Amino acid sequence: MVMIRVTQNMVTGRSLTSLQAGLDRLAQTQEKLSTGKNLNRPSDSPTDATTSMKIRVQLAETQQHVRNAQNGLGWLDVTDSTLSGMADNLRRVSELALQGANASITGSTSTALATEVAQIREGLLAQANTTYLDRPIFGGVTAGTQAFDASGAYVGADAPVQRSVADGVKVRIDVSGTTVVGPNGDNLFDDLAALESALRLGDKAGIQAGIAAVTERQRAVSDAQAAVGASYNRADAAERKGQDALVTLRSALSEVEDTDLPKAMVDLQMHEVAYQAALASTARVMQPSLVDFLR
Amino acid sequence: MSGTLSSLNTALSALRYNRVAMDVASHNIANVATEGYNRRRVDGESMGAPTVPARWSTYEGAGGGVRTSAIVRMNDVLLDNRVRTEHSSLSYLQLRATALARMESGVGEPGDAGVAAAMADFRSSWQDLGNDPGGNAARGQVLARAESLAGALSAQAANVSAEMTTQRLTLQGTVSEVGTVAKELAATNRAISTAALDGVDVSDLADQRDVLGLRLAELTGGVGLLQPDGTMNVSVAGVDLVAGSTAGTLRVATGVTASGAPDGQPVTFAIDTGATSTTLTADVRGEVGASADLLNTTLPAYAAGLAAVARDLADTVNAAHAAGYDLDGNTGAAFFSYDPIDPAGTLTVAVTARQVAASTLPGGVLDGSNADVIGTAGTPEASYQRLVNGFGTEVASAQRLVRTQSLLTTQVDSAREQLSGVNLDEETVAMLTAQRAYEAAARVMSVMDSVLDTLINRTGIG
Repeated sequence: MVMIRVTQNMVTGRSLTSLQAGLDRLAQTQEKLSTGKNLNRPSDSPTDATTSMKIRVQLAETQQHVRNAQNGLGWLDVTDSTLSGMADNLRRVSELALQGANASITGSTSTALATEVAQIREGLLAQANTTYLDRPIFGGVTAGTQAFDASGAYVGADAPVQRSVADGVKVRIDVSGTTVVGPNGDNLFDDLAALESALRLGDKAGIQAGIAAVTERQRAVSDAQAAVGASYNRADAAERKGQDALVTLRSALSEVEDTDLPKAMVDLQMHEVAYQAALASTARVMQPSLVDFLR
Repeated sequence: MSGTLSSLNTALSALRYNRVAMDVASHNIANVATEGYNRRRVDGESMGAPTVPARWSTYEGAGGGVRTSAIVRMNDVLLDNRVRTEHSSLSYLQLRATALARMESGVGEPGDAGVAAAMADFRSSWQDLGNDPGGNAARGQVLARAESLAGALSAQAANVSAEMTTQRLTLQGTVSEVGTVAKELAATNRAISTAALDGVDVSDLADQRDVLGLRLAELTGGVGLLQPDGTMNVSVAGVDLVAGSTAGTLRVATGVTASGAPDGQPVTFAIDTGATSTTLTADVRGEVGASADLLNTTLPAYAAGLAAVARDLADTVNAAHAAGYDLDGNTGAAFFSYDPIDPAGTLTVAVTARQVAASTLPGGVLDGSNADVIGTAGTPEASYQRLVNGFGTEVASAQRLVRTQSLLTTQVDSAREQLSGVNLDEETVAMLTAQRAYEAAARVMSVMDSVLDTLINRTGIG
């Protein structure tokens, strides 16, 4: 700008403007430092604000997926250990049945075997009604407290219980009661009841049939356990992936939102020096006038 | 041959002229900080032979001294026009940027307390319910989060409508100031035309006229037009607001009632002059125009965007909710209810904890898959992000424009100050020059006095 005439008012006005600008820059840097945020309102950078909001949505989703997976892992853990217990019990039943099938076993021994089988049946029924957070793990989506009633009949609501562990990825975390013990009228508990009475009666053919049935049930339980194991692995992998993603997302968010402290400190220092220089020069420029030099 | 005493007259004219010069310097110095003051300059001219000599006459004088030809008010009409234009744009942009920044601070994004955060919490609570469809805690949490989301949305809607109320009140205040300033300008115009007829110096009135004209430009973007008699006419959006010594009244024709409430129509203006009333069809600028634009376009657009987000959210959730079954096996009732006129402000949760339809299966079973669906249904987040992004861009652009316009205005102001501003050094020099000239003229007088003394008292006396 070419200045033809400079007046005192111009000097004053311009000094005020530049002092204001300096103070404004100082205040902006100070805000960044004191809030720790580069983005304090959408207009600071509309693009970054949108990015930050998107990352926040993703962060919330991923956190929730991790929570879902952790919840599912708890359920799967309980299911897995219950199934192991049931497999142990079935092994014991098949031992007892083999003993009962022995031709030399008769009378009181046979009754003792039958009693133990009856006991184990009760135990298995209790295991089949195991609950996790007040929900029977083999009951599907039932609102009741039991998957099987006292007679061993399935009373659950057979529908998959799932957890979303990632975007669009669902893991089934329960095992249907009927796949583990068989359909109503022809299930594990019916087989055990038949075996018990065969033992009590010394019905060797019945005992043989019971042995075959129990072997079949053992296979079903171990199949279920394998399925649970596979689900566990999927949920576990998803959980770990989610945790990793959380770290990445948090650092991405910080990259967008947070103040670069060293840079902000240097900026603050620079603006402070500039402001002080403006103050000092203003003080010197505004003082003199020709009047000072006239007598 | 000029008269014997003519040198005394010449000295007298110098004394007079230099006193005027000192008066003007002192006036300039006195008004160094006066708003709208234009410096004055004394133009002197030497008195010599008559410009149209009489026929056959000869002029033998050596010159007859000095006289004040004019006291000039140093201004440039074109520059003054430019100053008014730039100030009008600046005040428009400043009011707009201030209002937008005020509203933006109520948006609270990006952060942990805004609508986006409430929305994410709401989504999570559905998935938690999906994990535990029977749990009362999970159901209660869904309702609580839904209420806090509705609260966040209605807080923003309230923020927008509060800003609209502020703008309506601002508009009324500004419009009434326009009336006062227009009347003052008309009165000043009358004084100028009278004074000009009387041949009085109108510089001070002209200063006042320009200050008022500038203020009107800042308030309405009115265009000032100087008339040959020194008065200023101001037209707003092509209609005369001030013409000579008559002032019209700018009023809000529609959009705001007398009590400052909205009347459901866009804001328009009219100018009443006497019995005639002219509705303004072109855009008004300045502060009045900024308020009108905010009320007509910017704020309603944001409110509509927010309403769309709320409606989208409520409708998506309601549709998904209706596809599920609640704890008693009934089909999901409407989860959110709202008034279609103002969805963001009236969003409320319309179900109880047992009525939350988490299950896709009838019969009151503890299925959580519908809760899962609701937790991811629709994209209200994306439309909200677009809304905030658009608004942020608007605020940023308004602030950028203010910065650019400030630079331009400062530049134009300083160009005017170069011409019209008072420089104290210059005035001091002018004063000293006048002082020395005055002293010298006084000296001439005493020399003439002694010359005449010699002539009269000493000559011919033995």
